[in-house]
Amino acid sequence: MKYIFLVAWREYAENAKTKGFWLGIFLVPIMILGSIQVPIWLAKKGTPVRYYALVDQSETLAPVIEARLERSHQKQVLADINGYVQKHTIPAGKSAALTPPSLDQFISQGGVVSYLKAVQARLKLGAPPFKAPRRDFQPVPLPAGMRADTDLATIVERLRPYLRGDQKLEVGGQWVSLSAAILIPRDIEKQIVRPPDKSADSTAGVTAIQYWSGNLADTKLRDEVEQSVNTEIRRREYLLRGMDAAAIRAVEQTYAPFASLNPKKEAGQEAVNSADIIRQWAPSAFVYLLWVAIFAVVQMLLTNIIEEKSNRIIEVLLSSVTPGELMMGKLFGIAAVGLTMVGSWMLALFGILSWKAGGASDVTSQVLTALQSSNLILMFSVYFLLGYLLYAALILALGSVCNTLKEAQSYMGVITMMMMVPLLTMSFIPKDPNGVLARVLSWIPIYTPFIMMNRAMADPPLFDLIGTLVLLIVATVGALWMAAKVFRIGILRTGQPPKLVEMLRWLKR
Amino acid sequence: MTMNNQHLANDAPLEVQGVTKLFGDFRAVDDVSFSLPAGAIYGFLGPNGAGKTTTIRMILEIIKPTSGSISVLGHSSALAVRQRIGYLPEEKGLYKKMKCWAVIAYFATLKGLSRKAAKQRAFELLERYGLKDFATKPTEALSKGMGQKVQMLASIAHDPEFVILDEPFSGLDPVNQQVMEEIIRDMAKRNRTVLFSTHVMQHAERLCDRILLLAKGRKIFDGTVAEAKRIIPRRVRIETEDDITPLRELKEVVSIRPVDTISGGITAPTVAHWELEVRENTDPQAILQSCFARGIRLHSFNQSDPTLHEVFMRLVGPDAKEAAFR
Repeated sequence: MKYIFLVAWREYAENAKTKGFWLGIFLVPIMILGSIQVPIWLAKKGTPVRYYALVDQSETLAPVIEARLERSHQKQVLADINGYVQKHTIPAGKSAALTPPSLDQFISQGGVVSYLKAVQARLKLGAPPFKAPRRDFQPVPLPAGMRADTDLATIVERLRPYLRGDQKLEVGGQWVSLSAAILIPRDIEKQIVRPPDKSADSTAGVTAIQYWSGNLADTKLRDEVEQSVNTEIRRREYLLRGMDAAAIRAVEQTYAPFASLNPKKEAGQEAVNSADIIRQWAPSAFVYLLWVAIFAVVQMLLTNIIEEKSNRIIEVLLSSVTPGELMMGKLFGIAAVGLTMVGSWMLALFGILSWKAGGASDVTSQVLTALQSSNLILMFSVYFLLGYLLYAALILALGSVCNTLKEAQSYMGVITMMMMVPLLTMSFIPKDPNGVLARVLSWIPIYTPFIMMNRAMADPPLFDLIGTLVLLIVATVGALWMAAKVFRIGILRTGQPPKLVEMLRWLKR
Repeated sequence: MTMNNQHLANDAPLEVQGVTKLFGDFRAVDDVSFSLPAGAIYGFLGPNGAGKTTTIRMILEIIKPTSGSISVLGHSSALAVRQRIGYLPEEKGLYKKMKCWAVIAYFATLKGLSRKAAKQRAFELLERYGLKDFATKPTEALSKGMGQKVQMLASIAHDPEFVILDEPFSGLDPVNQQVMEEIIRDMAKRNRTVLFSTHVMQHAERLCDRILLLAKGRKIFDGTVAEAKRIIPRRVRIETEDDITPLRELKEVVSIRPVDTISGGITAPTVAHWELEVRENTDPQAILQSCFARGIRLHSFNQSDPTLHEVFMRLVGPDAKEAAFR
């Protein structure tokens, strides 16, 4: 036992010094943090303020577009201010809980200023002042010397260098580039397409409203403009045809409440919410982590054995420890490395989620709740350990019969191929977690950890859960027993790797 | 040395009885028996493929003999006394990324030293044998010879009673061969038993109390170096311009043959070199007197013991060649 510990300790200490280990430790938390932070950061900083020029020769649509863009902006402001309030106010008793206003209420009640006043009393001491987000799209007047009432074609020609970025516009003393130009012709009314009127086809290709922009990827402004214009045009159409616009609007907002229910949940709580969807998909992330962890650790094991074998250190070791002790030492040492890695990932995951978690509706906090309320972590630990041991057995046997890393890599390829299956099925399994594919794969021990992890939140039948676990344990013990047999003979062999038949013969010894 | 010597056992360090090892149909070791007295330096000689390494591995219980018995330090299992044995294998290697002292200390802890004692001992040894500057360097920074020294130190860091060294001199420059010899002598002085294999006879000749000669898996010779040399008849070399026919009639002389020497030396071309093979227990002085008596004028008279190399070549020469061409 002492020798096993000594070998294990060296394995642990030496591997903990490698760059790969630390890369592994930090990469996953960085990825987790990144996947939460980057979209937020991108949304805030990534898209600079876009300047657009609006030429409305019909002189009726510009205010509608402006109102729409302002409303979108206020929506963002409201979302931000709600987050701010949630973070920096003292949660009062349930009775006095703040109910965030609807967008219409927010705008009509005076926006940021009055809302902040309303919550002022509740703000924690030392809370930073609220910083309203910038409006993404800012209108700019046409460059000096251009008249909005000239021919549209001329305007386009004059604007072209600005839109290409060759020339800049001056806005409030700053030189900015023009991101888009929206040109609405005077006779827009005539160009409106009405469904029964097939003559519209003849005008196909002729554009009524022109949206000029070099940026094709970001269609947000285009969409906003298009929707606002069409909403306005439809509103006018209702009036034209003598319909009650208000009534129509009311009709448009009628709906039948619809709910997804889960029969497996307790009565009264059957409602499927977004947390449930997170629960269904969270295991996929764990499958991926499991795969990465096992693969990384098993690679480490292979490199170590090959190093000892190709350097012939093995002989000195075997004059001090038995092959069994050496093997167990390696197995445990590397397992400890793996557990350290996985453990730090879990800590980081919880740490980052708790740090980033905002209100109850926040995705981050829902993920956190899903993790805390389930046995995902427990399953992950068990499956990591068993999966590692099973694959380690294969690797130990493989490593012991190969002389160089190159030789081992070619065999490792086969193992890698086998390991790819759970990655490929990872996204199918949650859609049908108790289907035939999932069930069949669950019963193949080398896939059990991944597939069962994948099915974890879908309440797999107890028979599957226990049965596959027992089979996995039996297979792991068997594999380790065989690995030990191969290891004690293979480790001293030099020259050609033995044939499979030969290795099978070793098992009988 | 900080370790006490009190626990040294009186058991013979090694007792090998009729050991045979088969690899398939191949007899790597064939019915070999020998025993080592405590405190001796024992040379394990033989051509390539003689079965030296296989025998050593069996002694260390890395592999099991097909038949026969081995007792190490009074135990039938080397693993039971592994803390009292040191081993330097033929093919040398170290963990590349580990620091020199850490490698030595690791192997020492595997041999039962506490981690603290092992570390202290590692630095001690590295300093004594001139590797102080490399103590905290990774072993991959070492030259081959230095690496070998580090490995040697690793195998004796726990001050074992019985050390087995497989080809300790191979790959070392003359200076470091000297250091290696020094290490071996140091151990013998402290009543440690050393078994080392080599095919460089000079080392064996200088160091060994006894030698064991293996060829094709069989024991060919087992005894002291002096005994080995007695296998080959004694020889006398003479240089003379005169006719040496009268010497052929001497009863002490078995044969006479001319020896080629490189011409252009200090002797004139007319001077011939002769090697006289003489009977055992012949006093070379008697030959010298006979020369005077018969009026043979000598430029030089040289009585020399055969070297171990010659003994080796005589005993295993044909076998060794055969093995090489197989």
